[in-house]
Amino acid sequence: MDVQPTRMELIKLRRRIAMAKKGHALLKMKRDGLIMEFRTILEDAKRVIDEMVQRYREAQEKLALAMAADGVVAVKSIALSVDKEPSFTLKRKNIMGVVVPVIKREVVRKSVAERNYGVIGTTARIDEAVEAYEALIDAILEVAEIETTLKRLIEEIERTKRRVNALEFRVIPSMEDAARYITFKLEEMDRENIIRLKKIKGKKEKAEA
Amino acid sequence: MISKIIKRTKISEWAYIVARVRVMKRKLIPRDEYAKLLNMDLNEIARYLEETEYKKEIDELAFRYSGVDLIDHALSLNLSRVYSKLIRISKGLPRDLIVLYLRKWDFWNIKNILRGKMFGFTNEEIEATLVPAGEFDEDFFKSLLAKESIEEIVNAFRGKPFYSILEKILHGSKLSDVEDELDKFYYTSIAGLSAESLDAKYFIDFIRMEIDIVNMKTILRLKKEGVPAEEIIPKIVPYGYQLTEDEARKLAAMELEEIYKAIENYWFVRDLREVVMTQPMSKIENALTRIWAERMIKKASNYPLSILPVLSYMLLKKIEVDNLRIIARGKESGMEVEDIREQLVIV
Repeated sequence: MDVQPTRMELIKLRRRIAMAKKGHALLKMKRDGLIMEFRTILEDAKRVIDEMVQRYREAQEKLALAMAADGVVAVKSIALSVDKEPSFTLKRKNIMGVVVPVIKREVVRKSVAERNYGVIGTTARIDEAVEAYEALIDAILEVAEIETTLKRLIEEIERTKRRVNALEFRVIPSMEDAARYITFKLEEMDRENIIRLKKIKGKKEKAEA
Repeated sequence: MISKIIKRTKISEWAYIVARVRVMKRKLIPRDEYAKLLNMDLNEIARYLEETEYKKEIDELAFRYSGVDLIDHALSLNLSRVYSKLIRISKGLPRDLIVLYLRKWDFWNIKNILRGKMFGFTNEEIEATLVPAGEFDEDFFKSLLAKESIEEIVNAFRGKPFYSILEKILHGSKLSDVEDELDKFYYTSIAGLSAESLDAKYFIDFIRMEIDIVNMKTILRLKKEGVPAEEIIPKIVPYGYQLTEDEARKLAAMELEEIYKAIENYWFVRDLREVVMTQPMSKIENALTRIWAERMIKKASNYPLSILPVLSYMLLKKIEVDNLRIIARGKESGMEVEDIREQLVIV
Protein backbone atom coordinates (compact mmCIF):
# COMPACT_ATOMS: atom_id res chain seq x y z
CA MET A 1 0.00 0.00 0.00
CA ASP A 2 1.42 3.34 -1.12
CA VAL A 3 0.84 5.41 2.04
CA GLN A 4 3.12 6.80 4.69
CA PRO A 5 2.20 5.08 7.94
CA THR A 6 2.36 8.20 10.02
CA ARG A 7 -0.01 9.57 12.56
CA MET A 8 -0.38 12.76 10.51
CA GLU A 9 -1.36 10.74 7.47
CA LEU A 10 -3.86 8.80 9.56
CA ILE A 11 -5.47 12.02 10.79
CA LYS A 12 -5.64 13.34 7.21
CA LEU A 13 -7.07 10.05 5.99
CA ARG A 14 -9.74 9.96 8.69
CA ARG A 15 -10.76 13.51 7.75
CA ARG A 16 -11.00 12.48 4.08
CA ILE A 17 -13.04 9.40 4.98
CA ALA A 18 -15.47 11.51 6.99
CA MET A 19 -15.71 13.97 4.08
CA ALA A 20 -16.20 11.16 1.53
CA LYS A 21 -18.95 9.60 3.64
CA LYS A 22 -20.72 12.92 3.90
CA GLY A 23 -20.36 13.44 0.12
CA HIS A 24 -21.59 9.91 -0.46
CA ALA A 25 -24.71 10.51 1.63
CA LEU A 26 -25.37 13.80 -0.21
CA LEU A 27 -24.87 12.24 -3.65
CA LYS A 28 -27.16 9.38 -2.69
CA MET A 29 -29.81 11.89 -1.69
CA LYS A 30 -29.25 13.78 -4.97
CA ARG A 31 -29.57 10.53 -6.96
CA ASP A 32 -32.80 9.62 -5.18
CA GLY A 33 -34.10 13.15 -5.69
CA LEU A 34 -33.24 13.07 -9.38
CA ILE A 35 -34.93 9.68 -9.79
CA MET A 36 -38.07 11.02 -8.14
CA GLU A 37 -37.99 14.10 -10.37
CA PHE A 38 -37.40 11.86 -13.39
CA ARG A 39 -40.44 9.74 -12.52
CA THR A 40 -42.66 12.81 -12.21
CA ILE A 41 -41.42 14.21 -15.53
CA LEU A 42 -41.78 10.76 -17.12
CA GLU A 43 -45.49 10.82 -16.27
CA ASP A 44 -45.74 14.29 -17.82
CA ALA A 45 -43.81 13.06 -20.86
CA LYS A 46 -46.25 10.19 -21.38
CA ARG A 47 -49.17 12.62 -21.22
CA VAL A 48 -47.48 15.13 -23.55
CA ILE A 49 -46.53 12.43 -26.08
CA ASP A 50 -50.08 11.02 -26.03
CA GLU A 51 -51.36 14.54 -26.56
CA MET A 52 -49.00 15.04 -29.50
CA VAL A 53 -50.14 11.76 -31.11
CA GLN A 54 -53.75 12.82 -30.59
CA ARG A 55 -53.10 16.24 -32.10
CA TYR A 56 -51.30 14.67 -35.05
CA ARG A 57 -54.30 12.43 -35.66
CA GLU A 58 -56.65 15.40 -35.43
CA ALA A 59 -54.47 17.46 -37.77
CA GLN A 60 -54.43 14.61 -40.31
CA GLU A 61 -58.20 14.35 -40.12
CA LYS A 62 -58.71 18.09 -40.54
CA LEU A 63 -56.29 18.07 -43.47
CA ALA A 64 -58.19 15.21 -45.11
CA LEU A 65 -61.46 17.11 -44.69
CA ALA A 66 -59.95 20.32 -46.07
CA MET A 67 -58.63 18.40 -49.10
CA ALA A 68 -62.06 16.85 -49.62
CA ALA A 69 -63.90 20.18 -49.41
CA ASP A 70 -61.48 22.63 -51.01
CA GLY A 71 -59.41 20.45 -53.33
CA VAL A 72 -55.87 19.14 -53.05
CA VAL A 73 -54.22 22.00 -54.96
CA ALA A 74 -55.85 24.67 -52.79
CA VAL A 75 -54.71 22.99 -49.57
CA LYS A 76 -51.22 22.13 -50.81
CA SER A 77 -50.63 25.59 -52.22
CA ILE A 78 -51.69 27.15 -48.94
CA ALA A 79 -49.13 24.97 -47.19
CA LEU A 80 -46.49 25.97 -49.74
CA SER A 81 -47.29 29.66 -49.40
CA VAL A 82 -46.30 29.73 -45.73
CA ASP A 83 -43.11 31.72 -45.99
CA LYS A 84 -42.63 32.13 -42.24
CA GLU A 85 -40.78 29.37 -40.43
CA PRO A 86 -41.88 28.60 -36.89
CA SER A 87 -39.41 30.29 -34.54
CA PHE A 88 -38.94 29.80 -30.84
CA THR A 89 -36.94 31.13 -27.91
CA LEU A 90 -34.80 28.91 -25.75
CA LYS A 91 -34.53 29.58 -22.00
CA ARG A 92 -32.92 27.59 -19.20
CA LYS A 93 -34.31 26.06 -16.04
CA ASN A 94 -32.44 24.43 -13.17
CA ILE A 95 -33.62 21.11 -11.72
CA MET A 96 -31.32 20.04 -8.83
CA GLY A 97 -28.27 21.42 -10.54
CA VAL A 98 -29.24 20.07 -13.97
CA VAL A 99 -29.73 22.75 -16.60
CA VAL A 100 -32.73 21.90 -18.81
CA PRO A 101 -34.21 23.87 -21.71
CA VAL A 102 -37.56 25.71 -21.71
CA ILE A 103 -38.83 26.21 -25.26
CA LYS A 104 -41.31 28.97 -25.99
CA ARG A 105 -42.87 29.18 -29.46
CA GLU A 106 -43.52 32.46 -31.14
CA VAL A 107 -46.94 32.58 -32.81
CA VAL A 108 -46.67 32.07 -36.57
CA ARG A 109 -50.39 32.20 -37.28
CA LYS A 110 -51.25 34.68 -39.97
CA SER A 111 -54.24 36.96 -39.80
CA VAL A 112 -56.90 36.54 -42.46
CA ALA A 113 -55.60 39.56 -44.34
CA GLU A 114 -52.12 38.00 -44.50
CA ARG A 115 -53.31 34.57 -45.58
CA ASN A 116 -52.81 33.46 -49.09
CA TYR A 117 -56.27 32.15 -49.89
CA GLY A 118 -59.63 33.67 -50.60
CA VAL A 119 -62.34 33.44 -47.96
CA ILE A 120 -65.46 33.46 -50.14
CA GLY A 121 -64.51 30.47 -52.25
CA THR A 122 -63.02 28.27 -49.52
CA THR A 123 -64.54 26.60 -46.49
CA ALA A 124 -63.70 26.86 -42.81
CA ARG A 125 -62.15 23.40 -43.02
CA ILE A 126 -58.95 25.03 -44.32
CA ASP A 127 -58.85 27.30 -41.25
CA GLU A 128 -59.49 24.32 -39.00
CA ALA A 129 -56.66 22.35 -40.64
CA VAL A 130 -54.30 25.34 -40.21
CA GLU A 131 -55.34 25.62 -36.57
CA ALA A 132 -54.86 21.88 -35.97
CA TYR A 133 -51.33 22.02 -37.42
CA GLU A 134 -50.52 25.05 -35.26
CA ALA A 135 -51.57 23.05 -32.21
CA LEU A 136 -49.45 20.15 -33.45
CA ILE A 137 -46.34 22.37 -33.67
CA ASP A 138 -46.92 23.44 -30.06
CA ALA A 139 -47.28 19.82 -29.00
CA ILE A 140 -44.07 18.81 -30.85
CA LEU A 141 -42.11 21.60 -29.14
CA GLU A 142 -43.50 20.58 -25.77
CA VAL A 143 -42.40 16.99 -26.42
CA ALA A 144 -38.96 18.22 -27.55
CA GLU A 145 -38.62 20.21 -24.33
CA ILE A 146 -39.65 17.37 -22.06
CA GLU A 147 -37.56 14.79 -23.96
CA THR A 148 -34.43 16.93 -23.65
CA THR A 149 -35.14 17.39 -19.95
CA LEU A 150 -35.50 13.63 -19.52
CA LYS A 151 -32.27 12.95 -21.43
CA ARG A 152 -30.34 15.46 -19.31
CA LEU A 153 -31.82 13.98 -16.13
CA ILE A 154 -30.89 10.43 -17.20
CA GLU A 155 -27.32 11.54 -17.92
CA GLU A 156 -27.14 13.27 -14.52
CA ILE A 157 -28.63 10.27 -12.71
CA GLU A 158 -26.07 8.00 -14.42
CA ARG A 159 -23.22 10.32 -13.49
CA THR A 160 -24.40 10.62 -9.86
CA LYS A 161 -24.90 6.86 -9.66
CA ARG A 162 -21.33 6.28 -10.88
CA ARG A 163 -20.02 8.75 -8.28
CA VAL A 164 -22.05 7.13 -5.48
CA ASN A 165 -20.84 3.66 -6.49
CA ALA A 166 -17.26 4.82 -6.83
CA LEU A 167 -17.37 6.37 -3.36
CA GLU A 168 -19.22 3.45 -1.82
CA PHE A 169 -17.32 0.56 -3.35
CA ARG A 170 -13.93 1.99 -4.18
CA VAL A 171 -12.86 5.32 -2.69
CA ILE A 172 -14.17 4.91 0.87
CA PRO A 173 -13.18 1.20 1.23
CA SER A 174 -9.69 1.88 -0.11
CA MET A 175 -9.27 4.86 2.24
CA GLU A 176 -10.57 2.75 5.14
CA ASP A 177 -8.11 0.00 4.16
CA ALA A 178 -5.33 2.55 4.16
CA ALA A 179 -6.45 3.88 7.54
CA ARG A 180 -6.59 0.35 8.92
CA TYR A 181 -3.12 -0.33 7.48
CA ILE A 182 -1.70 2.83 9.04
CA THR A 183 -3.33 2.03 12.39
CA PHE A 184 -1.94 -1.49 12.22
CA LYS A 185 1.49 -0.19 11.22
CA LEU A 186 1.47 2.40 14.00
CA GLU A 187 0.42 -0.24 16.55
CA GLU A 188 3.13 -2.53 15.18
CA MET A 189 5.66 0.27 15.53
CA ASP A 190 4.45 0.89 19.10
CA ARG A 191 4.81 -2.78 19.92
CA GLU A 192 8.30 -2.84 18.35
CA ASN A 193 9.26 0.19 20.42
CA ILE A 194 7.98 -1.41 23.61
CA ILE A 195 9.91 -4.61 22.84
CA ARG A 196 12.95 -2.57 21.93
CA LEU A 197 12.66 -0.61 25.18
CA LYS A 198 12.15 -3.78 27.12
CA LYS A 199 15.21 -5.35 25.51
CA ILE A 200 17.33 -2.24 26.22
CA LYS A 201 16.05 -2.20 29.76
CA GLY A 202 16.94 -5.94 30.11
CA LYS A 203 20.43 -5.38 28.71
CA LYS A 204 20.90 -2.42 31.09
CA GLU A 205 19.83 -4.45 34.08
CA LYS A 206 22.13 -7.30 33.05
CA ALA A 207 25.04 -4.88 32.72
CA GLU A 208 24.36 -3.36 36.12
CA ALA A 209 24.13 -6.81 37.76
CA MET B 1 -75.84 37.15 -71.82
CA ILE B 2 -78.00 39.90 -70.31
CA SER B 3 -80.18 40.13 -73.40
CA LYS B 4 -80.64 36.38 -73.37
CA ILE B 5 -81.65 36.15 -69.74
CA ILE B 6 -84.63 38.41 -70.19
CA LYS B 7 -86.11 36.45 -73.07
CA ARG B 8 -89.21 34.36 -72.50
CA THR B 9 -89.20 30.63 -72.83
CA LYS B 10 -91.73 27.99 -73.82
CA ILE B 11 -93.28 25.73 -71.20
CA SER B 12 -92.21 22.70 -73.27
CA GLU B 13 -88.55 23.64 -72.86
CA TRP B 14 -88.94 23.54 -69.08
CA ALA B 15 -90.99 20.34 -69.20
CA TYR B 16 -88.28 18.54 -71.14
CA ILE B 17 -85.29 19.55 -69.01
CA VAL B 18 -87.22 19.10 -65.74
CA ALA B 19 -88.29 15.58 -66.78
CA ARG B 20 -84.71 14.67 -67.65
CA VAL B 21 -83.45 16.11 -64.36
CA ARG B 22 -86.11 14.22 -62.42
CA VAL B 23 -84.75 10.97 -63.86
CA MET B 24 -81.17 12.02 -63.07
CA LYS B 25 -82.19 12.95 -59.53
CA ARG B 26 -83.44 9.42 -58.93
CA LYS B 27 -79.91 8.18 -59.51
CA LEU B 28 -78.51 10.23 -56.62
CA ILE B 29 -77.40 8.13 -53.66
CA PRO B 30 -80.35 7.87 -51.23
CA ARG B 31 -79.76 9.25 -47.73
CA ASP B 32 -80.11 5.79 -46.13
CA GLU B 33 -77.17 4.51 -48.17
CA TYR B 34 -74.73 6.80 -46.35
CA ALA B 35 -75.00 4.61 -43.23
CA LYS B 36 -73.76 1.66 -45.32
CA LEU B 37 -71.02 3.69 -46.97
CA LEU B 38 -69.74 4.90 -43.61
CA ASN B 39 -69.11 1.32 -42.54
CA MET B 40 -67.15 0.38 -45.66
CA ASP B 41 -63.40 0.61 -46.23
CA LEU B 42 -61.90 2.47 -49.18
CA ASN B 43 -61.93 -0.51 -51.57
CA GLU B 44 -65.49 -1.34 -50.67
CA ILE B 45 -66.49 2.27 -51.31
CA ALA B 46 -64.83 2.11 -54.75
CA ARG B 47 -66.66 -1.16 -55.45
CA TYR B 48 -69.94 0.35 -54.24
CA LEU B 49 -69.44 3.34 -56.54
CA GLU B 50 -68.90 0.93 -59.41
CA GLU B 51 -72.50 -0.11 -59.01
CA THR B 52 -73.71 3.48 -59.24
CA GLU B 53 -73.51 6.36 -61.68
CA TYR B 54 -69.77 6.61 -61.05
CA LYS B 55 -68.94 3.23 -62.65
CA LYS B 56 -67.83 4.69 -65.96
CA GLU B 57 -65.40 7.13 -64.35
CA ILE B 58 -64.02 4.54 -61.89
CA ASP B 59 -63.39 2.07 -64.75
CA GLU B 60 -61.84 4.77 -66.89
CA LEU B 61 -59.42 5.98 -64.23
CA ALA B 62 -58.68 2.71 -62.40
CA PHE B 63 -55.54 2.05 -64.47
CA ARG B 64 -54.04 5.40 -63.48
CA TYR B 65 -55.12 5.85 -59.90
CA SER B 66 -56.01 3.79 -56.87
CA GLY B 67 -57.49 4.27 -53.42
CA VAL B 68 -58.60 7.73 -52.43
CA ASP B 69 -57.04 9.35 -55.51
CA LEU B 70 -59.16 7.14 -57.76
CA ILE B 71 -62.34 8.12 -55.92
CA ASP B 72 -61.34 11.79 -55.88
CA HIS B 73 -60.64 11.96 -59.61
CA ALA B 74 -63.68 9.85 -60.53
CA LEU B 75 -65.97 12.13 -58.52
CA SER B 76 -64.60 15.30 -60.14
CA LEU B 77 -64.88 13.78 -63.61
CA ASN B 78 -68.41 12.57 -62.98
CA LEU B 79 -69.48 15.96 -61.65
CA SER B 80 -68.15 17.76 -64.69
CA ARG B 81 -69.82 15.21 -67.00
CA VAL B 82 -73.17 15.60 -65.26
CA TYR B 83 -72.96 19.36 -65.62
CA SER B 84 -71.93 19.04 -69.28
CA LYS B 85 -74.86 16.68 -69.84
CA LEU B 86 -77.26 19.26 -68.41
CA ILE B 87 -75.94 21.82 -70.86
CA ARG B 88 -76.17 19.28 -73.72
CA ILE B 89 -79.74 18.22 -73.07
CA SER B 90 -81.11 21.72 -72.53
CA LYS B 91 -81.76 24.50 -74.99
CA GLY B 92 -82.98 28.08 -75.02
CA LEU B 93 -83.28 29.92 -71.74
CA PRO B 94 -82.81 26.82 -69.53
CA ARG B 95 -79.46 26.22 -71.20
CA ASP B 96 -78.38 29.85 -70.83
CA LEU B 97 -79.25 29.86 -67.15
CA ILE B 98 -77.44 26.57 -66.52
CA VAL B 99 -74.33 27.86 -68.31
CA LEU B 100 -74.55 31.08 -66.34
CA TYR B 101 -74.75 29.19 -63.06
CA LEU B 102 -71.91 26.86 -64.03
CA ARG B 103 -69.59 29.78 -64.62
CA LYS B 104 -68.83 29.29 -60.94
CA TRP B 105 -66.68 26.35 -62.04
CA ASP B 106 -64.80 28.52 -64.54
CA PHE B 107 -63.66 30.65 -61.63
CA TRP B 108 -62.88 27.55 -59.56
CA ASN B 109 -60.71 26.27 -62.43
CA ILE B 110 -59.01 29.63 -63.05
CA LYS B 111 -58.20 29.94 -59.34
CA ASN B 112 -56.76 26.43 -59.22
CA ILE B 113 -54.65 26.97 -62.35
CA LEU B 114 -53.24 30.28 -61.08
CA ARG B 115 -52.60 28.85 -57.63
CA GLY B 116 -51.08 25.66 -59.00
CA LYS B 117 -48.83 27.51 -61.44
CA MET B 118 -47.75 30.05 -58.83
CA PHE B 119 -46.70 27.36 -56.38
CA GLY B 120 -45.03 25.02 -58.85
CA PHE B 121 -47.53 22.15 -59.04
CA THR B 122 -47.31 19.75 -61.95
CA ASN B 123 -49.87 20.10 -64.74
CA GLU B 124 -51.21 16.66 -63.82
CA GLU B 125 -51.85 17.72 -60.24
CA ILE B 126 -53.64 20.88 -61.33
CA GLU B 127 -55.64 19.03 -63.99
CA ALA B 128 -56.94 16.63 -61.36
CA THR B 129 -58.72 19.48 -59.58
CA LEU B 130 -60.38 20.97 -62.65
CA VAL B 131 -64.10 20.65 -63.26
CA PRO B 132 -64.57 21.93 -66.82
CA ALA B 133 -68.29 22.55 -66.62
CA GLY B 134 -68.78 26.23 -67.37
CA GLU B 135 -68.27 28.51 -70.34
CA PHE B 136 -64.75 27.24 -71.02
CA ASP B 137 -64.15 23.64 -72.03
CA GLU B 138 -61.49 21.12 -71.05
CA ASP B 139 -59.28 21.91 -74.06
CA PHE B 140 -59.21 25.58 -73.15
CA PHE B 141 -58.04 24.80 -69.63
CA LYS B 142 -55.46 22.36 -70.99
CA SER B 143 -54.15 25.12 -73.22
CA LEU B 144 -53.87 27.34 -70.14
CA LEU B 145 -51.92 24.64 -68.33
CA ALA B 146 -49.51 24.47 -71.25
CA LYS B 147 -48.65 28.15 -70.82
CA GLU B 148 -45.38 28.94 -69.11
CA SER B 149 -46.10 32.11 -67.15
CA ILE B 150 -48.91 33.63 -65.09
CA GLU B 151 -48.86 36.60 -67.45
CA GLU B 152 -49.68 34.39 -70.44
CA ILE B 153 -52.52 32.75 -68.52
CA VAL B 154 -53.97 36.11 -67.48
CA ASN B 155 -53.65 37.45 -71.02
CA ALA B 156 -55.71 34.52 -72.32
CA PHE B 157 -58.71 36.21 -70.68
CA ARG B 158 -58.13 39.58 -72.33
CA GLY B 159 -61.49 41.02 -73.37
CA LYS B 160 -63.42 39.13 -70.67
CA PRO B 161 -65.24 41.29 -68.09
CA PHE B 162 -63.18 39.83 -65.25
CA TYR B 163 -59.85 40.46 -67.00
CA SER B 164 -59.32 43.64 -64.96
CA ILE B 165 -59.50 41.53 -61.78
CA LEU B 166 -57.02 38.93 -63.05
CA GLU B 167 -54.71 41.66 -64.28
CA LYS B 168 -54.20 42.77 -60.67
CA ILE B 169 -52.04 39.70 -60.05
CA LEU B 170 -49.56 41.04 -62.58
CA HIS B 171 -49.47 44.33 -60.68
CA GLY B 172 -48.60 42.74 -57.37
CA SER B 173 -52.05 42.12 -55.83
CA LYS B 174 -52.35 39.20 -53.47
CA LEU B 175 -53.81 35.98 -54.83
CA SER B 176 -56.29 35.80 -51.93
CA ASP B 177 -57.74 39.22 -52.79
CA VAL B 178 -57.98 38.30 -56.47
CA GLU B 179 -59.73 35.02 -55.57
CA ASP B 180 -62.29 36.85 -53.45
CA GLU B 181 -62.84 39.45 -56.14
CA LEU B 182 -63.42 36.72 -58.75
CA ASP B 183 -66.01 35.09 -56.51
CA LYS B 184 -67.67 38.42 -55.88
CA PHE B 185 -67.65 39.13 -59.60
CA TYR B 186 -69.36 35.80 -60.29
CA TYR B 187 -72.19 36.47 -57.84
CA THR B 188 -72.69 40.16 -58.58
CA SER B 189 -72.61 39.66 -62.37
CA ILE B 190 -75.65 37.38 -62.05
CA ALA B 191 -77.45 38.83 -59.04
CA GLY B 192 -77.10 42.35 -60.41
CA LEU B 193 -79.12 41.53 -63.50
CA SER B 194 -82.66 42.82 -63.70
CA ALA B 195 -85.16 40.02 -64.12
CA GLU B 196 -87.59 40.80 -66.90
CA SER B 197 -89.34 37.43 -66.81
CA LEU B 198 -90.50 35.19 -64.00
CA ASP B 199 -88.16 32.40 -65.14
CA ALA B 200 -85.15 34.69 -64.85
CA LYS B 201 -86.42 35.98 -61.50
CA TYR B 202 -86.45 32.46 -60.04
CA PHE B 203 -82.87 32.02 -61.16
CA ILE B 204 -81.65 35.37 -59.86
CA ASP B 205 -83.42 34.82 -56.54
CA PHE B 206 -81.66 31.46 -56.27
CA ILE B 207 -78.29 33.15 -56.73
CA ARG B 208 -79.24 35.89 -54.28
CA MET B 209 -80.21 33.27 -51.71
CA GLU B 210 -76.83 31.63 -52.27
CA ILE B 211 -75.24 35.05 -51.65
CA ASP B 212 -77.07 35.21 -48.29
CA ILE B 213 -75.59 31.83 -47.37
CA VAL B 214 -72.11 32.80 -48.62
CA ASN B 215 -72.19 36.11 -46.70
CA MET B 216 -73.43 34.45 -43.55
CA LYS B 217 -70.68 31.83 -43.75
CA THR B 218 -68.04 34.52 -44.34
CA ILE B 219 -69.22 36.73 -41.47
CA LEU B 220 -69.50 33.88 -38.95
CA ARG B 221 -66.20 32.33 -40.06
CA LEU B 222 -64.26 35.57 -39.77
CA LYS B 223 -66.05 36.59 -36.55
CA LYS B 224 -65.11 33.27 -34.95
CA GLU B 225 -61.50 33.97 -35.97
CA GLY B 226 -61.69 37.35 -34.25
CA VAL B 227 -61.22 39.33 -37.47
CA PRO B 228 -62.10 43.04 -37.13
CA ALA B 229 -65.15 44.37 -39.00
CA GLU B 230 -63.11 46.49 -41.41
CA GLU B 231 -61.44 43.33 -42.75
CA ILE B 232 -64.76 41.46 -43.05
CA ILE B 233 -66.66 44.17 -44.93
CA PRO B 234 -64.65 43.94 -48.20
CA LYS B 235 -65.45 40.21 -48.31
CA ILE B 236 -69.22 40.76 -48.32
CA VAL B 237 -70.96 40.04 -51.61
CA PRO B 238 -73.69 42.58 -52.49
CA TYR B 239 -77.21 41.73 -53.80
CA GLY B 240 -78.23 39.32 -51.04
CA TYR B 241 -81.81 37.98 -51.13
CA GLN B 242 -82.87 38.93 -47.62
CA LEU B 243 -79.55 39.94 -46.12
CA THR B 244 -78.69 43.19 -47.89
CA GLU B 245 -75.17 44.52 -48.16
CA ASP B 246 -75.85 47.17 -45.48
CA GLU B 247 -77.31 44.60 -43.10
CA ALA B 248 -74.36 42.29 -43.71
CA ARG B 249 -71.97 45.15 -42.91
CA LYS B 250 -73.84 45.82 -39.66
CA LEU B 251 -73.62 42.12 -38.76
CA ALA B 252 -69.87 42.21 -39.42
CA ALA B 253 -69.51 44.86 -36.70
CA MET B 254 -71.49 42.88 -34.08
CA GLU B 255 -70.50 40.29 -31.50
CA LEU B 256 -71.44 36.66 -32.17
CA GLU B 257 -74.32 36.63 -29.64
CA GLU B 258 -75.70 39.85 -31.12
CA ILE B 259 -75.40 38.45 -34.64
CA TYR B 260 -77.63 35.53 -33.75
CA LYS B 261 -80.29 37.84 -32.32
CA ALA B 262 -80.07 40.10 -35.36
CA ILE B 263 -80.55 37.30 -37.88
CA GLU B 264 -83.32 35.45 -36.02
CA ASN B 265 -85.94 36.25 -38.64
CA TYR B 266 -83.95 35.50 -41.75
CA TRP B 267 -84.91 32.57 -43.99
CA PHE B 268 -81.68 30.68 -43.42
CA VAL B 269 -81.87 30.66 -39.62
CA ARG B 270 -83.40 27.50 -38.24
CA ASP B 271 -82.12 25.77 -35.11
CA LEU B 272 -78.88 27.56 -35.82
CA ARG B 273 -78.35 29.20 -32.43
CA GLU B 274 -77.05 26.07 -30.68
CA VAL B 275 -74.76 25.27 -33.61
CA VAL B 276 -73.37 28.81 -33.86
CA MET B 277 -72.57 29.05 -30.17
CA THR B 278 -71.11 25.58 -29.60
CA GLN B 279 -69.89 23.98 -32.81
CA PRO B 280 -66.78 24.56 -34.97
CA MET B 281 -67.24 26.62 -38.11
CA SER B 282 -67.21 23.63 -40.48
CA LYS B 283 -70.35 22.30 -38.79
CA ILE B 284 -72.02 25.71 -38.97
CA GLU B 285 -71.23 25.77 -42.69
CA ASN B 286 -72.72 22.30 -43.04
CA ALA B 287 -75.85 23.38 -41.19
CA LEU B 288 -76.24 26.40 -43.47
CA THR B 289 -75.70 24.26 -46.59
CA ARG B 290 -78.30 21.78 -45.34
CA ILE B 291 -80.84 24.55 -44.68
CA TRP B 292 -80.07 26.01 -48.10
CA ALA B 293 -80.52 22.67 -49.90
CA GLU B 294 -83.74 21.82 -48.06
CA ARG B 295 -85.14 25.23 -48.85
CA MET B 296 -84.29 24.78 -52.54
CA ILE B 297 -85.89 21.33 -52.69
CA LYS B 298 -89.06 22.79 -51.23
CA LYS B 299 -89.01 25.76 -53.57
CA ALA B 300 -88.33 23.51 -56.57
CA SER B 301 -91.38 21.41 -55.77
CA ASN B 302 -93.47 24.59 -55.53
CA TYR B 303 -92.31 25.73 -58.97
CA PRO B 304 -91.93 22.47 -60.93
CA LEU B 305 -91.75 24.05 -64.38
CA SER B 306 -88.89 26.43 -63.78
CA ILE B 307 -85.10 26.44 -63.46
CA LEU B 308 -85.41 25.62 -59.75
CA PRO B 309 -85.67 21.79 -60.07
CA VAL B 310 -82.53 21.87 -62.25
CA LEU B 311 -80.65 24.11 -59.84
CA SER B 312 -81.73 22.06 -56.84
CA TYR B 313 -80.50 18.91 -58.63
CA MET B 314 -77.14 20.58 -59.34
CA LEU B 315 -76.88 21.58 -55.70
CA LEU B 316 -77.73 18.05 -54.51
CA LYS B 317 -75.25 16.52 -56.94
CA LYS B 318 -72.49 18.78 -55.62
CA ILE B 319 -73.43 17.87 -52.04
CA GLU B 320 -73.34 14.15 -52.94
CA VAL B 321 -69.87 14.46 -54.49
CA ASP B 322 -68.63 16.42 -51.47
CA ASN B 323 -70.10 13.81 -49.11
CA LEU B 324 -68.47 10.93 -50.97
CA ARG B 325 -65.17 12.74 -51.04
CA ILE B 326 -65.36 13.43 -47.29
CA ILE B 327 -66.18 9.77 -46.59
CA ALA B 328 -63.25 8.59 -48.76
CA ARG B 329 -60.74 11.05 -47.33
CA GLY B 330 -62.05 10.51 -43.80
CA LYS B 331 -61.69 6.74 -44.15
CA GLU B 332 -58.18 7.14 -45.53
CA SER B 333 -57.08 9.26 -42.58
CA GLY B 334 -58.59 6.77 -40.11
CA MET B 335 -61.40 8.98 -38.83
CA GLU B 336 -64.13 7.50 -36.63
CA VAL B 337 -67.44 6.76 -38.38
CA GLU B 338 -69.29 9.20 -36.12
CA ASP B 339 -66.80 12.00 -36.84
CA ILE B 340 -67.19 11.49 -40.58
CA ARG B 341 -70.98 11.39 -40.27
CA GLU B 342 -70.93 14.78 -38.54
CA GLN B 343 -69.12 16.29 -41.52
CA LEU B 344 -71.70 15.14 -44.05
CA VAL B 345 -74.60 17.15 -45.38
CA ILE B 346 -77.39 14.61 -45.66
CA VAL B 347 -80.52 16.11 -47.18
